[in-house]
Amino acid sequence: MEGEQDKASFWKKNTKTVPGRPSPKRDVKSIAKGKPAGATSFQDFQASVSDAWDMDDDDICVISGLENAKISKKVSQSAALNVLNTHRNTTTEENTCSDTSRKAQVIQEVEQVRSRIPGRPQQLLNLNPPQEEDTQIKLGRFEELLVNSPTLQDLCKLSWSGIPVKVRAITWRLLSGYLPINLERRNGVLERKRQDYWTFVDKYYYTDHDETNRDIQHQINIDVPRMNPSIPLFQQKTVQIMFERILFIWSIRHPASGYVQGINDLVTPFYVVFLQEYLSDNQPFETFQVDALDKGKLNIIEADSFWCLTKFLDSIQDNYVFAQIGIQKKVLQLEELIKRVDETLHRHLKQHNVSYLQFSFRWLNNLLTRELPLRCTIRLWDTYLAENDCFATFQLYVCAAFLLFWKEDLMRERDFQGLLMLLQNLPTQHWSSSQISLLVAEAYKLKVMFADSPNHLLSNAGDS
Amino acid sequence: MGTKDDEYDYLFKVVLIGDSGVGKSNLLSRFTRNEFNLESKSTIGVEFATRSIQVDGKTIKAQIWDTAGQERYRAITAAYYRGAVGALLVYDIAKHLTYENVERWLRELRDHADQNIVIMLVGNKSDLRHLRAVLTEEAKAFAERNGLSFIETSALDSTNVDTAFQNILTEIYRIVSQKQIRDPPEGDVIRPQNVEPIDVKPTVNSDGVRKQCCQ
Repeated sequence: MEGEQDKASFWKKNTKTVPGRPSPKRDVKSIAKGKPAGATSFQDFQASVSDAWDMDDDDICVISGLENAKISKKVSQSAALNVLNTHRNTTTEENTCSDTSRKAQVIQEVEQVRSRIPGRPQQLLNLNPPQEEDTQIKLGRFEELLVNSPTLQDLCKLSWSGIPVKVRAITWRLLSGYLPINLERRNGVLERKRQDYWTFVDKYYYTDHDETNRDIQHQINIDVPRMNPSIPLFQQKTVQIMFERILFIWSIRHPASGYVQGINDLVTPFYVVFLQEYLSDNQPFETFQVDALDKGKLNIIEADSFWCLTKFLDSIQDNYVFAQIGIQKKVLQLEELIKRVDETLHRHLKQHNVSYLQFSFRWLNNLLTRELPLRCTIRLWDTYLAENDCFATFQLYVCAAFLLFWKEDLMRERDFQGLLMLLQNLPTQHWSSSQISLLVAEAYKLKVMFADSPNHLLSNAGDS
Repeated sequence: MGTKDDEYDYLFKVVLIGDSGVGKSNLLSRFTRNEFNLESKSTIGVEFATRSIQVDGKTIKAQIWDTAGQERYRAITAAYYRGAVGALLVYDIAKHLTYENVERWLRELRDHADQNIVIMLVGNKSDLRHLRAVLTEEAKAFAERNGLSFIETSALDSTNVDTAFQNILTEIYRIVSQKQIRDPPEGDVIRPQNVEPIDVKPTVNSDGVRKQCCQ
């Protein structure tokens, strides 16, 4: 089967051609503004070795033992399995860690332990008053926290219920792990990372592409112009080129998955948040002309979007590898969860032959970006980022809460087609952040309810 | 929401396949809602729509599954081939590569779909006359060689969209109703509410290219 061959050559070509590629035309470098003396940067390192990977980042997808160019389907699959196992292990760790914290909770360190799960009981209290009225107070608390080196826990706790626009960009950088918490390291790291990104661009984007990379580029070029067709910002050529570069560089640095349709949508929240840093209060990003910004600012938006996307996707890369096993697993878990939480709804769906894969695949693949207005997605991601490493699991509860939210409407539908049409086009056009706050609160309740029985997700979920 | 066309004589499941960006989703939206979006979002996984048509006084309901074109989604989309009695294999007449890949899509169907599935080759974007890269005659000959029906459409200006769906559904209907005449109805006949896979016998006059092979 040719598909198989393609898969094999996909692996082969990426591992073979990316490292040790002939040096790029260095003079194209647009932002390499005198690097700090002494800080032997990634560029120097990269130029001197034939290894393209920055060991700090996304080592997750570096699959060893592929030097030998001929790769069978078996090998590629076992490599994919390696990736999956790594993920599974880290997830288990998280589970155990929250488990132990539960026990520790019984002892005196209640406060500390609670803060490990951001927005625990405190969070529920915060959800009662409307958010708008305390925006100013909240902004004050953020600013107070950010001038020093905050602890990640404090920042998560505060961010979980939403981050004011004014401090969102810096908070997202911190929460995603891109920007160090330590104040003194911040500027150095930012400068180096941004330079690194542009080195990748020079080295991989503005060079001849082999066949695999041409395919990636081709797919990206097809998808970027048609994302968010209703938002003028994304129709601008400058913006589209930035997206193409971000996605291309991300793809070649993540050969285990490569670019998968939908990842383009996942860049949009980051892009908008970093763009908003340069907009005045309440200026709508939707219609902003980015060409009004100078090149330096655009470069920062692009590099930061790239790095935050990278960090963000690290914990869910198995969603995008061959056969998308991560998603398939989560679909089963979602079904298991709904079966437990709302038997009536579950039976209703089953009775009409609706399978969870049919509607929740897109929810999981695109992290609900296709189901919600962009502004709501951004608010939702405040919480995702505040969930930190646990966000992949948390997203499952959000999907469950999202499905349950529509229960009444779903129960009214009497056949397969009605159900599926509704599930594919849920009317969220007029949602605002208050609905999101409700959604994550519900998700949080589910999480707490089931955190004590972590096995419930596994029982029939094919995790034998 | 719940449309009132839930009364039908036959229910046929049809899949839309083909490379990314050839216009599968727009063919579907044109056929089911008479809508077209110049920049419609990429399809993630599989999306669904439905429409009923009349053939010989019978109501035929088409349940159409629109699939993502990217290779990474094959594992997911292939699951939807099961039980499909028809497939519209779409390419873009202005992009030769999407036509070259038709063979791969046929292989994909052969591997995952019912062996008797009715396949129609669809050259979409026929409105792009000045950019044409695939000759009608060439595609037509290819379709004949492979026992496929063939049509060129434009989801943008609506040309032949209804006809394409009408033709494939009619073809499936003929096969199914012939089968019913030959083999008097028993348990496996399609009845309303029955979404089970339908066993379609091969097109009678196909020149033997799509021979029944072992399974």
